[in-house]
Amino acid sequence: MKTLRILPITLALAPLALSAQERFATRNGHIAFLSETAMENIAADNRKVTSVFDATTGAIEFAVLIKAFEFEKALMQEHFNENYMESNTFPKATFKGKITGVGEDEMKKEGTYMVSAQGDLTIHGVTKPVTVKGTLTVDAAGAVKASGEFTIKPEDHGIKIPGVVRDNIAEQVKVTVKLDYAKM
Amino acid sequence: MAKRTILIIAILIAVAGGGYAWMEFNRTTAKADDLPVKETISAQDLLAAFTADEAAATTRFVGTTEQVVQVSGTIRSIEPAVDITNIVLGTESELAGVVCEFDPADVPADWRSGASVTIKGICTGMLMDVVLVRCTAVE
Repeated sequence: MKTLRILPITLALAPLALSAQERFATRNGHIAFLSETAMENIAADNRKVTSVFDATTGAIEFAVLIKAFEFEKALMQEHFNENYMESNTFPKATFKGKITGVGEDEMKKEGTYMVSAQGDLTIHGVTKPVTVKGTLTVDAAGAVKASGEFTIKPEDHGIKIPGVVRDNIAEQVKVTVKLDYAKM
Repeated sequence: MAKRTILIIAILIAVAGGGYAWMEFNRTTAKADDLPVKETISAQDLLAAFTADEAAATTRFVGTTEQVVQVSGTIRSIEPAVDITNIVLGTESELAGVVCEFDPADVPADWRSGASVTIKGICTGMLMDVVLVRCTAVE
């Protein structure tokens, strides 16, 4: 039971892992978001993304701690955590899905492949389906890098934006993900 | 005379208020060194606390506002990344540890894997590891 709490992502993939021979993981993935409006741009980075990718099945999961998002300005970070993401109540965001566009054989040779990941994104306690378009690169040493981009609408995840700041926050927030995996 | 005094006071209040608002708007996030230490604990005990009861450990170590945890342990690995360096403190678990995110300039040059160190950082919770950000080394 304790192990389940230590490795929620890894063990969520345990059934897959039993048959998987090519699994990759990272604890240092990077997620950034950008809200761009005429009033102001709001950006933040999180370099503590934990992710597991099973190259045999294409299953991919990643998770982030909301409080690990870093802003340039402290006030923005405080408002993000307290007023919008309510990170004391919803401390994590997760994605569980499957990558398509690259086969098991391609994963064994060097190359860059256009891929898409479809799955469920949970933010602020609300789960929505999402499709992430991106690339997956296998280098000569067999290391795997994945990157992708998608947009989210805060209101879709139950994040309330007060009318007084509605013009300061984009309707669609752009999210970029970069994951440099190491073989497990 | 009274009107002039009131006007001067009003201007001073407006300037002070504007100055405070400007400083607050541009305030940058604090490093662990800028905040008081809330908890002092070993890496093993910190991971064990999250493993035993994640909700209780989150309340204790993450808190509702940023708080600093001082952690001691042995460096399992030093992992440079873009703009940051992660110092991973080992625990009895081979897979899980305490990951401490540093500005590369703040990592002591003589730190190596296997060294015993003490680190202050802002605890953000646990994924596969317990995560501390904006860390500083404790001499």
